[in-house]
Amino acid sequence: MSTVTTEGTVGLGLKRVSASKLPDPNIKRADTLAILVDISSCIGCKGCEAACTQWHDLKPPLFKEGQDFVGYQSYPDLMPSLFMMMKFKEGETEKGLTWFITKYQCMHCGDPGCLKACPSPGAIIQYENGIVDFDHSKCIGCKFCLSGCPFDIPRYDSNNKPWKCNFCVDRVSAGLEPACVKACPTNCLHFGTKEDMLSRAKKIVDQLKRRGFEKAIIYDPPGVGGTGYIYVLPHGDKPQMYGLPKEASVSPWISLWKGPLKIFGAVVLWGTLLGAFLQLILFGPIKAGNKKED
Amino acid sequence: MEETRHMEDVQIERFSRFDRVVHWLVAITFLYLFFSGLGIYSPKFSWLLTLLGGLDFTRWLHPWTGLLFSVGVLLMFLRWSKDFLLTSDDMVWLKNVKYYIKSEEEKLPEVGKYNAGQKVFGWLVFIGCVVFLASGVLMWFPESFPISLVRLSIFLHDLAFILVGAGFIVHVYMGTVGVPGSLSGMITGKVSALWAMRHHPKWFKEVMRR
Repeated sequence: MSTVTTEGTVGLGLKRVSASKLPDPNIKRADTLAILVDISSCIGCKGCEAACTQWHDLKPPLFKEGQDFVGYQSYPDLMPSLFMMMKFKEGETEKGLTWFITKYQCMHCGDPGCLKACPSPGAIIQYENGIVDFDHSKCIGCKFCLSGCPFDIPRYDSNNKPWKCNFCVDRVSAGLEPACVKACPTNCLHFGTKEDMLSRAKKIVDQLKRRGFEKAIIYDPPGVGGTGYIYVLPHGDKPQMYGLPKEASVSPWISLWKGPLKIFGAVVLWGTLLGAFLQLILFGPIKAGNKKED
Repeated sequence: MEETRHMEDVQIERFSRFDRVVHWLVAITFLYLFFSGLGIYSPKFSWLLTLLGGLDFTRWLHPWTGLLFSVGVLLMFLRWSKDFLLTSDDMVWLKNVKYYIKSEEEKLPEVGKYNAGQKVFGWLVFIGCVVFLASGVLMWFPESFPISLVRLSIFLHDLAFILVGAGFIVHVYMGTVGVPGSLSGMITGKVSALWAMRHHPKWFKEVMRR
């Protein structure tokens, strides 16, 4: 699916590859990229959604008659053929009725849970610039990436292959901005280095605080090593209202089965094999007739 | 000496046709599950997936094989669970298992048709199968269950793999090289009278009385 090779000297530099120690991240260097989503200036036009499906040649099924009402949203949820969507939720705040809008897609975690959980070498890759992508040719379809993801992102097609936002890696590696950013008419979406985006976000948050949104925050959860999508949330005390977990982190279960449990397994299984062999060479087979013949 | 040689030639039935079919159904499916699972469990063994039919295919076949395995284990449970109940003699046997390992069986309580080690392995398989099946279904359809339960399931599935896998290694070793004469019990269904008398004296006497 990716236009970029994961081996050799061609293409973007790699930072991490699932289930393998490759590559050497010291050869190719790149600044970490980010998209800043400034919720305070989003008008909910869903232009980004349209641009995303258009650029990626996606044809998500249209809303069907009789389907559960999903309000202003285009779709109830992400689909294999829908990499991002806008989520809308109404809630009460001290400022009265508030419309909580979020851009919902893969967050491109600095420390990706999907990549950690993936058992197939090379099926999930993180480029030096922070983009997390899948390589379907190496994917075995086990769906462990869904267990690793703190944001409930990957969606699977009928061949059990996962699909999600790839940060328009093809555009980005050609020096273009991602399609959603390109389409945004209100400058709610910004694209650049993570450093630049954070300083811009800080300015917006300061502005919001001056305008009376004292709880405004930058959403860049440290539990997943920061994210490639960072958000300015005007109501930062209620990230759940935006559909974002308050404390996003990779589940400790994943570290457990990738770390201590693997070592335990190796010791037990190899130990048993060794034990059986030692029994054979130290005491010999437990024969039926040997004792009597002595 | 004379008597020993004579007893080696006498064959007595240990496992019926049904027993053998069920055993090999479980054994062959488990073999596939063990090696395909190993390829998914450890990236170092992902080449096994290629060997067993390709990355996607092996992962796809694994859960279906698991269902077949579960059916086999259910039949095993119905057939053997009563025989595998542990007695007080079995506890003594387990406590002194070192004598068995050292080939000094005469120091252990007389064994019936199954020794305590075999019984414990039986229960390991029965309980392991329940864990494999329950956690496996959640891992098969992770979108249909709370994700925290799916994460727990992967842990339990791995843990069951390690423990049942270790038991399986011991079982294969004992059934082939470790205790000569055992394998024929599961192939032809018959073992030599000498083998039965040495390893399962209580059962041997029962058979003789009939």
